[in-house]
Amino acid sequence: MNNIKRNPDVVWREEEEARDEVVAAMQRGEDASGEGTVLLIVSGMMHQLNILGGEIWKLIDGSKGDGEIVEELHKVFDVDKDVLSEDVRAFLEDLKFRGWVSYEE
Amino acid sequence: MKNDGRIPSAPITVNWTLTFRCNFSCMHCYSRVEKAGELKTAEVKEIMRKVAAYKVPFINFGGGEPLLRRDLFELTEYATSLGFHVSMNTNGYLMDARKAARAKESGFKTIGVSIDSHEPEVHDAFRNTPGSHKRAVRAAKLLVEQGIRLTISSVICRINHLKFEELVNQAAELGAEQISLHNYKCTGFGMTNKDELDLTPEEWMQFYLKALEVKAKETRIRISLDDPITASIHKSTEAAIVKGSTCGKLSLNIRANGDVTPCGFIPVVIGNLLKDDLKDLWDTAPVLDKMRNKKPREKCLTCAHYEDCLGGCTARAFAMTGDFNAPDPHCWVGK
Repeated sequence: MNNIKRNPDVVWREEEEARDEVVAAMQRGEDASGEGTVLLIVSGMMHQLNILGGEIWKLIDGSKGDGEIVEELHKVFDVDKDVLSEDVRAFLEDLKFRGWVSYEE
Repeated sequence: MKNDGRIPSAPITVNWTLTFRCNFSCMHCYSRVEKAGELKTAEVKEIMRKVAAYKVPFINFGGGEPLLRRDLFELTEYATSLGFHVSMNTNGYLMDARKAARAKESGFKTIGVSIDSHEPEVHDAFRNTPGSHKRAVRAAKLLVEQGIRLTISSVICRINHLKFEELVNQAAELGAEQISLHNYKCTGFGMTNKDELDLTPEEWMQFYLKALEVKAKETRIRISLDDPITASIHKSTEAAIVKGSTCGKLSLNIRANGDVTPCGFIPVVIGNLLKDDLKDLWDTAPVLDKMRNKKPREKCLTCAHYEDCLGGCTARAFAMTGDFNAPDPHCWVGK
């Protein structure tokens, strides 16, 4: 599988305080999947990624393909691997469609 | 993609008035009446390090005219080395081929050039500087040649509100990625010349209806309107991260002496970054708290659009009434 990398024109920042709160909420068994933890700024527009999207985004460093990203996430998210894999691939497809990531040739 | 209105942990953009000095005296200028000391190069760098510590991604230099600072490119190089994406707004008059090359070399990603009319004589009269349109166009071309992203900044007012499409065309022909059609602010000379230049609420509505229509069809260039009062006539396909004015929610303003204000058009100082911590100001300044938690007043109390526009532009309301919560004087909804 080809490695995936971020579009350098997408400026981003992890919101560490928000992430800490989401992690704490998840540890309490609460659903915090709607909270943003990573901000993306693209062509003057701002977007937020939730905890899963944010963790995927951080793993897109040009050294991993889809499968490796799923493996990394499965170490920290206690979910069915097939479901996780499906979610990750759908998310990456959306990012690719938006032009925010690309696969190395 | 999630949008929940939460205030980010630190500003996304710091707008930085490096100097109040200017080679122009424009009819609408917010800052020509300002008098403040100017930070030394080392002090600017010290503040940059403090801002960088909180991972603020964007610095936008303004003024006054930033090209009047002899250390502009040195500061840009330094900011770039700290990881900032650096941009500036200039009237373009002092831009030449050598400076355009230095701008590229120093790390500028985007530069905004002010052009307020496609008609040179109208622009020159508004900017009180003969030949300024010609120089601005030249600056725009030089920057595009260098591969710097070009934005054209235009302040919408009586001289151009019916001819903004020609401005859009000119900006597209110059190779700009974006044209920002800024709303008129009643600060400084903008207040002095308000009666001559500002539009009526009805005229603002007509302008925005037309501008939104043009924006929807335009394919050559992005059109930025960025005025919260458009919430009553337009629902964006992508929800905004925060509603209402973004000042004090996504951005802060640093004045030439290091003072911090919520916005360049709100001259209320909340601290100074030579002595104060950015994050501390961002999290605890009472003025920012008021701007982030506005309360509807007067016609906003019964307006169906309030939850989207949050009273419109806080700077305009404050300039006209001294009250952050007052309805935006440009708002056409209700009486």
